[in-house]
Amino acid sequence: MRDMGGPTSDVLALLDATFDAVVIMDDRGRISAFNRSAEEMFGYRAADALGRNVSMLMTSADRMAHDDHLRRYLGGGEPHILGKGRDVRVRHRDGSEFSVFLSVGRIPNSNPPQFVGYLHDNTLRRKALATLERERQLNRLYLDLAQVMLVATNRAGAVQLVNQRALRVLRVDAAQIIDSSWVDGCVAPEDRGVARNSFRALLMSGSDEPQSCEYHVRASDGEDRFITWRGVALRDANNVATGVMLSGEDITDQRRAETEAHRALERMNNVSRLATMGEMAAGISHELNQPLAAIANYAQACARLLRMPSADMPEISGALEQISGQALRAGEIIRRIRSLVRNEDVRRESQDINDLIREVHTLLASDARVHDGRLELDLAPVLPRVTVDGVQIQQVLMNLVHNAFEAQGTDAARSELARIGNNGAAFEVRIATRPTDAGDVEVSVSDLGPGLAGEVEQKIFEPFFTTKQTGTGLGLAISRSIIKAHDARLGYRANQPHGACFYFVLPAHTEMPR
Amino acid sequence: MKDLPQIVYVVDDDDAVRDSLRLLLKSANIACEVHGAAQEFLSGYDPVQPGCLVLDVRMPGMSGLEMQQELNLRGATIPVIFITGHGDIPMAVEAMQHGAFDFLQKPFRDQELLDRVQRALIRDTENRARLRHTDRIRERLATLSPREREVLDLVTQGKANKMVAGDLGVSQRTVEIHRAHVMQKMEAGSLAELVRMMMAVAPHR
Repeated sequence: MRDMGGPTSDVLALLDATFDAVVIMDDRGRISAFNRSAEEMFGYRAADALGRNVSMLMTSADRMAHDDHLRRYLGGGEPHILGKGRDVRVRHRDGSEFSVFLSVGRIPNSNPPQFVGYLHDNTLRRKALATLERERQLNRLYLDLAQVMLVATNRAGAVQLVNQRALRVLRVDAAQIIDSSWVDGCVAPEDRGVARNSFRALLMSGSDEPQSCEYHVRASDGEDRFITWRGVALRDANNVATGVMLSGEDITDQRRAETEAHRALERMNNVSRLATMGEMAAGISHELNQPLAAIANYAQACARLLRMPSADMPEISGALEQISGQALRAGEIIRRIRSLVRNEDVRRESQDINDLIREVHTLLASDARVHDGRLELDLAPVLPRVTVDGVQIQQVLMNLVHNAFEAQGTDAARSELARIGNNGAAFEVRIATRPTDAGDVEVSVSDLGPGLAGEVEQKIFEPFFTTKQTGTGLGLAISRSIIKAHDARLGYRANQPHGACFYFVLPAHTEMPR
Repeated sequence: MKDLPQIVYVVDDDDAVRDSLRLLLKSANIACEVHGAAQEFLSGYDPVQPGCLVLDVRMPGMSGLEMQQELNLRGATIPVIFITGHGDIPMAVEAMQHGAFDFLQKPFRDQELLDRVQRALIRDTENRARLRHTDRIRERLATLSPREREVLDLVTQGKANKMVAGDLGVSQRTVEIHRAHVMQKMEAGSLAELVRMMMAVAPHR
């Protein structure tokens, strides 16, 4: 920058340091100072600009106006441009035009007067503004695209911001709730206490960790929706809480579906339990009638023997022993039935799996009888204990044994058995236990039926898949879920020499360290 | 043959039920023989032995109903009293259709069973007597000559000697001689008795 009777070198250094372009001109419009930012903005070197008329920087339309302004001001007219900023079009050295924000001031005590012009690159400012606007829109979009409800309130709890999702859930317009109380306006009355407490807790917590809570909001049409919320406090620069931001997920439908699914599962379990019991009722009554019949017969025989002149005392005492034995047998059957139909909560206890199998054997034996088959037990003499819900495991066993007998009894199974030369073989189902190499307990139920065809094997555990005409297709699916709940897997493998084998491995019971 | 003592056979797979039935029958002075399985009974059964059968419907292996059918195939006439652990109506109907004597549901009063056993034994005696009777008639029939058999058939159809003679193309005198031989060989005292004998062995029985 060359001195044209212009500013001192101190001032020039100052000017060069500013971001804005600074141009100083005299009363005839001649440039007396042209700072570094001006050089960059217009493409002229200061040396080339100094002494030339400022109009070289202007568009042709502005040139005339500029001269007019200057003349009017100098002639004592209105100071048209001084002190006010305005957008003007200016011209680069290469001829391209662009917008700047121009403010002009008269340098005090200058005579003849000198004027200083500050030119701020509008393109940048506009760009910044546009970017800001775009970001604002984007933020709005983010808010509105969000699948969660977003609500921000001030410290007093008045709604400051709300997204589309929240408006849809509440069925209101933004104008209806902006600046009104969130808790009093939108929360279901019975949940307002919860909402207020969580709001207060958020404001008071010194932490930025989101806090969770759940409460109902009430839509404008009176419907309550159940929302799970995560909230954080909004803070100013001094870390003072100025309000809260809440993000909420409408879990009404999900919760409803969960409840429904839970109920359906319960119903299914009950139905399956009842169905199994229904199928077994015939067998059970037969089973119970055996000891009762024996008791009646023995007692009546004793009465007759005692009426004889020479009573056969050893025979009578033997019969009396039989009577008490059979009464106990009947009681045992009843006890087992009761423990089977008991609808109690899941109860995991350390159990001897062989005991569970023997317990259910009585009932299963009657099932075997119905199917004209034999139920064999092949139990390992020494096994680790397992932690299971005994009733559930017994249900699974009943289901598997029942299936095994049915699988052998179908016409298809008979002809298949005839084909492989096993005609007329007794229906046999075997429940076996054995310790695995890993020290766990394998329980298997195998039969001598035709086994599973490949495509059946693929689908056998799918709910509602069944090979029986009257099957529900739920037995194995439920059995598998029960076994899964015991951290085990219900699996299938072919039995040798033929037939099906379903098995599961229960983890050995380990004592919890206390 | 007539003097063979009657035996009540009990076939039930349940040890206690089987043993208690044995004792009950013993207390009523009824001879009995017990078996735990159908095959065990069938392998030693002689149809000549009079008595009756107390049979459990449900048994592993051969069921009571299957055993009844096997006995029918063998032409056995022994009356069968079925006992069952629960009132299974279709099963009872099927058993009765196949000629079961009676059906009892466990548990039962001793007198119910003993009454039925007594009646079954009487039925068996009657059956066997009737069988012996018809057997004798058939034996006598076998001694008739073809001509005598023709005369018998026509006479028991109610035809007079003259008509029989016309039908067979022989003289009335010849018919009278044949007829006398028939009455003698059949040990019949009258025409009415001869007709009764023929009805007893008629194939529809």
